[in-house]
Amino acid sequence: MLAATQYGNYGLWSPPMVSVHGDGVDSLITTLHWFMFLLFVPWAIFFVYCLVRFRRRAGHTASYTLPKAKISKYGEIAVVIFEVILLVGFSVPVWAEYRTRPPVREDRLEIRMVAQQFQWNIHYAGPDGRFGRTSAEFISDVNAIGLDESDPAAADDVQTINDFHLPVGKDIYVRLTSMDVVHSFSIPTMRVKQDVIPGMEIPVWFKIKEDATSENLRAEMTRAYPIGRVRWDRLRHHIATEDYKDRTGQVLLAKGGSLGGTFKAGAELIDKLRQAGVAEISMQPRHPLELVCAQLCGNSHFTMKAQLVTHTPEGFDEWIAEQSKEVTFDEDF
Amino acid sequence: MSEAHAHDLPFWRKYVFSVDHKVIGIQYTITAMLFLFLGFSLVSIMRYQLAYPGRDIPVIGKLLGGSIVGQTETGYVLTGDGYNALGAMHGTIMIFLGVVPLAVGGFGNFVLPLQLGAPDMAFPKLNMASYWSFFAGGVVMLASFFVKGGAANSGWTSYPPLADIATTGQTMWLFGMVLLITSSLLGSINFIVTTVQVRAKGLSFFRFPFFVWAQLVTSFLLLLAFPPLEAAGVLQLMDRLADTSFFLPSGLVVSGEVQTQISGGGSPLLWQHLFWFLAHPEVYVLILPALGIVGEVIANNTRKPLWGYKSLVFATIFLGFMSFIVWAHHMFMTGMGQTLSTFFQATTMIISVPSVIILTCMIISLWGAAIRYTVPMLFALAFLPMFAIGGLTGLPLGLTTSDIQLHDTYYVIGHFHYVVAPGTLFALFAGVYYWFPKATGRKMSDFLGKLHFWPSFIFINGVFLPMFFIGMAGVLRRQFDQTEQLHGAAVQGLTVMASWSAWLLLISQLPFIFNFFWSIFRGQKVGANPWEATTLEWFAPSPPPHGNFATTPVVYCGPYEYSVPGQKSDFCPQNVALEA
Amino acid sequence: MSTVAIPHDIEPHPMTGMYNGKFGLWLFLASEVMLFGALFSTYVLLRVGAPAGTWPAHGSEILDIPKATFNTLVLIGSSVTMVLAWASLKMNDVAKGRLFLLITFLLAGTFLVVKYFEYRDKFHHHEVFVKEPVLVGGKEYMNVSGHLTEDSPALTRAPRRWAFSIPEYVLIVADGKYAAEGHGESGAEAGADHGHPEPIRIEGSNIHRLTDYGPWHSTFLATYFTLTGLHGLHIVGGMVVIFYLLVASPSMWNGRREKLINRVECTGLYWHFVDLVWIFLFPVFYLL
Repeated sequence: MLAATQYGNYGLWSPPMVSVHGDGVDSLITTLHWFMFLLFVPWAIFFVYCLVRFRRRAGHTASYTLPKAKISKYGEIAVVIFEVILLVGFSVPVWAEYRTRPPVREDRLEIRMVAQQFQWNIHYAGPDGRFGRTSAEFISDVNAIGLDESDPAAADDVQTINDFHLPVGKDIYVRLTSMDVVHSFSIPTMRVKQDVIPGMEIPVWFKIKEDATSENLRAEMTRAYPIGRVRWDRLRHHIATEDYKDRTGQVLLAKGGSLGGTFKAGAELIDKLRQAGVAEISMQPRHPLELVCAQLCGNSHFTMKAQLVTHTPEGFDEWIAEQSKEVTFDEDF
Repeated sequence: MSEAHAHDLPFWRKYVFSVDHKVIGIQYTITAMLFLFLGFSLVSIMRYQLAYPGRDIPVIGKLLGGSIVGQTETGYVLTGDGYNALGAMHGTIMIFLGVVPLAVGGFGNFVLPLQLGAPDMAFPKLNMASYWSFFAGGVVMLASFFVKGGAANSGWTSYPPLADIATTGQTMWLFGMVLLITSSLLGSINFIVTTVQVRAKGLSFFRFPFFVWAQLVTSFLLLLAFPPLEAAGVLQLMDRLADTSFFLPSGLVVSGEVQTQISGGGSPLLWQHLFWFLAHPEVYVLILPALGIVGEVIANNTRKPLWGYKSLVFATIFLGFMSFIVWAHHMFMTGMGQTLSTFFQATTMIISVPSVIILTCMIISLWGAAIRYTVPMLFALAFLPMFAIGGLTGLPLGLTTSDIQLHDTYYVIGHFHYVVAPGTLFALFAGVYYWFPKATGRKMSDFLGKLHFWPSFIFINGVFLPMFFIGMAGVLRRQFDQTEQLHGAAVQGLTVMASWSAWLLLISQLPFIFNFFWSIFRGQKVGANPWEATTLEWFAPSPPPHGNFATTPVVYCGPYEYSVPGQKSDFCPQNVALEA
Repeated sequence: MSTVAIPHDIEPHPMTGMYNGKFGLWLFLASEVMLFGALFSTYVLLRVGAPAGTWPAHGSEILDIPKATFNTLVLIGSSVTMVLAWASLKMNDVAKGRLFLLITFLLAGTFLVVKYFEYRDKFHHHEVFVKEPVLVGGKEYMNVSGHLTEDSPALTRAPRRWAFSIPEYVLIVADGKYAAEGHGESGAEAGADHGHPEPIRIEGSNIHRLTDYGPWHSTFLATYFTLTGLHGLHIVGGMVVIFYLLVASPSMWNGRREKLINRVECTGLYWHFVDLVWIFLFPVFYLL
């Protein structure tokens, strides 16, 4: 179907990786697993060898005198040295960049995020670059972050719920806090994870790779799935890239449509498609990138998810400009 | 010396409120095994939800209570709260009501005085108190399922503010923990004093069986690490019952309501520090007794001394000491800076060294051996590679940079289950098969033992090996429905496989349960030393009477004098001098 | 008896030089050090992290130093009498030994009684946190602390909570001892108001939070009550054991004298530890 992809797709092993610092994380994980494998395999072979060679049988007795095993001492020292190299050479530098060297204030896009049971409330400063004042007294259903509308700086602020728009190729600096319990800001595709603790504001920063816009990623992750392998559980967040009709020409699954909202609906649709003779369906994720909560925060913890939409820098500026002009609804409306 | 009128005790003082360490050990063992089975059953229900999210639970769905299961149009489905309650209680029950009471309370109590050549523990009445405190804690924990709001559902880690504000049996969980911690404290004092002061003449420290060293270090961990969790539990109880704000920061808004009734000013991180200060040493409490058991079984079934006895001992002591200074590696993602994270990464790397040393000594012990593939040995041998996998997968978690991606994912669950499930639990099974003849005077069936071992080994790997892959793919822990997320939906197939393996694993335990109870009455009768072992417990009758030894043993040599050249038999008991 | 004879129950072990009970008690004290250590660490962490104005600059602003000083002397005295009890028994004087045990018991009781009065005072003082600043003695404050007058409407606690439901209004006499906090959004300066005898009326609509000085008042008081409360429970535990020793000593003196003396010694060790904890608690909370 499609040419080899740059970012890959979701599946076994690591998810697609679209951030700049993520390379360091992935290379450490890969190196570590090779190291673990290289330690385990010879050890396991030696183990099985002993089990076979030294089994009790006629004419074979155990030897009381203990073998001298210098190799284990040298082996242990080698392992320790390698671990120190991993720590000092890989982990510490990447962590330093990830946690102790934030991008300079002038160059970065600052976004405030207030985590709540069970949604992500996102606060953009808008074109003026200044955040409006927030206070708990203003919190309401239509104003989740408690923005003080009377503050002039708040006039062009944008707030969204679970709708996280970001520009690619620019330093992004997210100021995280929670209003109720401990949550965790986690974007698996960007190798970002940070606990969000009420009473504290913790910053996290990252930069998305230049061509990782949502459109590009969607195109890259388009796949053809043979109808026999289609399951609603696995493709519930995907949309079709073309129309699929039954034998009478009626559209069963429209372009841009999904398999349905429930397992039952999905199973019925898949059945219909199979009966209509459709051999495979081409699908792509509706929102290739997600922000999820990684710390148990209550009974709907698993639903706490924000859709990420990545734009080109110009596209992002357009989006912000449009959003900041939107009318905010009066509570008496 | 045994008291003559011990036989005159009424049934309830001989078998229920007994101060005899052997009876107490058996009480711990059976109670703990029941809790292990319960904890496994809870997660089996959860695994249905994981494999088939939102679907009707067949057969038992309607039997489960209202706080766990709700009725929807698809049938009887686990609720989000119910799932979290099962998860929190699975962890709590397995660790605090299952593994530790079995490994320390069960094996420690039964075997330790016998291996020390002692007539009983130093404080028999305190010993009894520690069992009943454990039992009471277990009752409180179980009762929490039936209170309004159901059992605690904020994870076994009970992080505030969630645990502080939860409207569930969290308070009962805290009271249960206080009782369980008390039980551990009393037990650990008993073990240490008995080991140092009540051991037989001639049994110097470097003639201890490795099992004794393992239990000794474990007891120090329990003694010194549990009190901060007790303190934390008291503080959380104050938060829940007295409206204090130890863990509640200012300005909380819960479900739209600004919290003005509380003072604020507290810190959720305070709980995390206090909790993990215990919970990290706790994991060494989970593994050390298992290592001790594996050491005993390997020495006995290789017919030669354990290799590197002194290394084993010093590594164990060093491990115990180091376990107190690694705790914040559970907290790397809380906003830790460079200095603190480097310190804890370094200590975490260092602590892997003694673990590797212990594992290496055990495997080199196989060289030059004459291995007998008895049922205990099968489990002890399987332990070794399983523990290796568990330990190795700790490496990416112990370095902050790789932990970014793996923290709170199924990779962590795979890691610690490998160490505790095919790790510790297998070692505990080895211990049961090994010491069963000493406790009952009968052997368990070998055939049923092998029927237990092979399927368990296969299916337990079937449950936990996929978890490394699921976790690497990004699937997070404590997720009621992983298909809500793109990365979770992509690997749902592995989750289904893990669930089926879990159910088959549960069924594989049936031969063991049957074997255990049937053999008490119908097992092949054996004498005092059916395994031809060297340590002191095998020189008391099977089962030992009140007071254990007819005459107090005197020790003349080390614990593993097997296949000594020039001796008549291939083993020399510790209480017999070697022939010149 | 179903217990067997355990070696070194009474004679010391050659390696440790202690009999079993003593060794066991030292181990227990080690775990208690960890317990109180964790709580003291909690105190440090909460104090360092406290938002400005929520933690008193000195314990004397809220706590009663004279009573606590008296209590300190009482407890030290009880440690002395505890040692004297053991020494008398060692020197074969059971009457004197029992007398000293009794005095120890009574001193411990005195400590608890004084503590009761200390605690009780806290529940008669109140603090009102207001939305719009309130005038006290010519200066504006965001919170006022003191005593409610008799005419002030009766208070009820909110259902299943310790905070009070906001009444229609309160009449409060601002006390010098519980200095009213300074004004403003930016945090408090400790008020230097030394008591204003006239009651101030504060309308319910202006009250943000109304509380007495229980553990729920602030993290300072939460820590204070928890630590001193846990310490108090340890005193009660010790009293129970001392009472048992008093009651059991006549019969044990004739049958198992060594065992009795050892038990008194171990109880003494525990008692000194409890005293030591108080020696730390007192300066940390009251003086610092």
